[in-house]
Amino acid sequence: MVVPEVTITHLNRADGSATYTHNGYSIIGAVNGPIEVLRRDEMPEEATIEVNVRPAVGVGSPKERHLETLLHNTLRSIILTRTIPRTLVQITLQIKSLPEEESSTGINTSLTILPHLLHTAFLALLSASIPLLTTLTSTLIALPSTSTPLLSPTANELLRAKPIKSMHVFAFSGDGRLLLNESDGAFSFEEWEEACDMAEQVCCKEVDEGGVRLGGGDMEVDGVENSQNLERWLRGVGRSKVEWEQRWKSGT
Amino acid sequence: MATASLQQQPPSLTFPRPIFAAVSPHPFLQAHLSANKKIPVRANGRSAYEFRRSGINTGSLTHANGSAVVRLGNTSVVCGVRAEILMEEDVPGTNDFPPPRTDGEDEEDDTQEIDTLRLIVPNIELSTGSTPSHIPGNAPSTFQQSLITRIRSLLLSTRLLRAADLRILYKPSSNPEDPDEEPETIVKAYWVLYIDVFFISIDGSEFDAAFLSILAALRDTRLPYAYFDEEYEGILCSDAPSEAKRLRLRGLPIPSTFAVFEGKSEDAGEQDFEWVLSDPDAFEEGVCRESVCVVVDGSRGDVVVRRIEKSGGGVVGREHLRGVVGMAGKRWSEVEKALSGSG
Repeated sequence: MVVPEVTITHLNRADGSATYTHNGYSIIGAVNGPIEVLRRDEMPEEATIEVNVRPAVGVGSPKERHLETLLHNTLRSIILTRTIPRTLVQITLQIKSLPEEESSTGINTSLTILPHLLHTAFLALLSASIPLLTTLTSTLIALPSTSTPLLSPTANELLRAKPIKSMHVFAFSGDGRLLLNESDGAFSFEEWEEACDMAEQVCCKEVDEGGVRLGGGDMEVDGVENSQNLERWLRGVGRSKVEWEQRWKSGT
Repeated sequence: MATASLQQQPPSLTFPRPIFAAVSPHPFLQAHLSANKKIPVRANGRSAYEFRRSGINTGSLTHANGSAVVRLGNTSVVCGVRAEILMEEDVPGTNDFPPPRTDGEDEEDDTQEIDTLRLIVPNIELSTGSTPSHIPGNAPSTFQQSLITRIRSLLLSTRLLRAADLRILYKPSSNPEDPDEEPETIVKAYWVLYIDVFFISIDGSEFDAAFLSILAALRDTRLPYAYFDEEYEGILCSDAPSEAKRLRLRGLPIPSTFAVFEGKSEDAGEQDFEWVLSDPDAFEEGVCRESVCVVVDGSRGDVVVRRIEKSGGGVVGREHLRGVVGMAGKRWSEVEKALSGSG
């Protein structure tokens, strides 16, 4: 599995932003907040969250609305909405590019993009310094009917592994709770558990518990060397950004 | 004098039940659930794992090819299936789908054909006053669009419909290229199924109700025998009801929705507690953040999970989900009985 590439806080007008590139998917995320909320949407005790997903081509369709609903529900559970009541947190995610084989895999495309959207939204929230309860990591698992399970497969790998029996998206919080799960296909509960174990390992297991190693030596991202799991990778992204911003302070 | 007597009596400090529910819905439900520690009873009188009985009626609409009315408590929904003909020559572009298999259609991979030609067109409409959050006259809300995406992708991923049922085939009487050879059977047109779901009232678990009504309506659908007439050079339908065919559905995937209610403890030291409520009503959905939807199919013996959707919180982990899948499996047989009883 290749480590995602991330640039944080590169848009100077938005409060927070992140560009995320992984497996041919590229997404720009921007967060504005806390800002003034429309009277109609205002909630007395918590912040309103608005998620906009814009597709790479054309205008938004019902599929994007569904993704927005999923993202909204998930992000609402990790943003500390009660600390910033009567405000609005606006999250805009623009899909920049999709892998070429995306449409020919014959797989529900909202599942394959969901982990990437979640990561982008989370990193943009982090960059906007929105109060958060925990971190969020997410991954995609494909169970083909003939070969071994695929971890975060690229569109090309999915095309070659056809027919796919079931697809699973998992998202875990920093303390290892299952925040989101979307599974599709035909599978037994045991197969689901197997996929869940695999996702948990890559998302949040510590190294000594047998975490899966990500990336090779040549896959360095922002100076992060061989991050062992997505949780580490996420922390590495944050750390390198802070180190860069404080280079004068720490250098003198 | 009247004002004086009012002032003497201090205002009562207890609320009647509906006011308690409206003013503070969360403590209201928690008070109900924690009143009996062993068997938690919800505000609507059901126990935590109790589903509402599903009432299913089919064949109620005269002008639809198939129809059903489904009730789950106060959620009531009407579904009508209308079949129309799509001519092969009207399909834009060239498509090459895997050729129809002659040995067994059960395993045929026809999802792509149904998906790209859009042979299933589901649509959702909310009637005025079906739910307080729906404002009539506006464009379809996020709620509607999200629901329709879920229904469409479930119809496609469960491979419920067979493309073979929807193709209108034609075998020419003689081969135009070589009169001696056997003519080839070609696809002249397709049946397109317009599935319209109309919510009369919504009281929670709208996905379950909508999908159940679609299943019942599809099981009820009869397509007239359609053929290509050589002299007329178009598709004609036979008007004999005996020649009409039913759709052969693959399996019977039935969704079950659960909501997770997180209680708040009064003292900080006390452990938080949560309840998984099956088939939530609108009031419960309003106070619950996390929801789980499991689609299972037990028509081939073992219970196979066809879909799990879970979002909104981190309470339901592996152990909870095992129980939830078990409950969905039990519910499958109940609903299956109700479905076969209706037709």
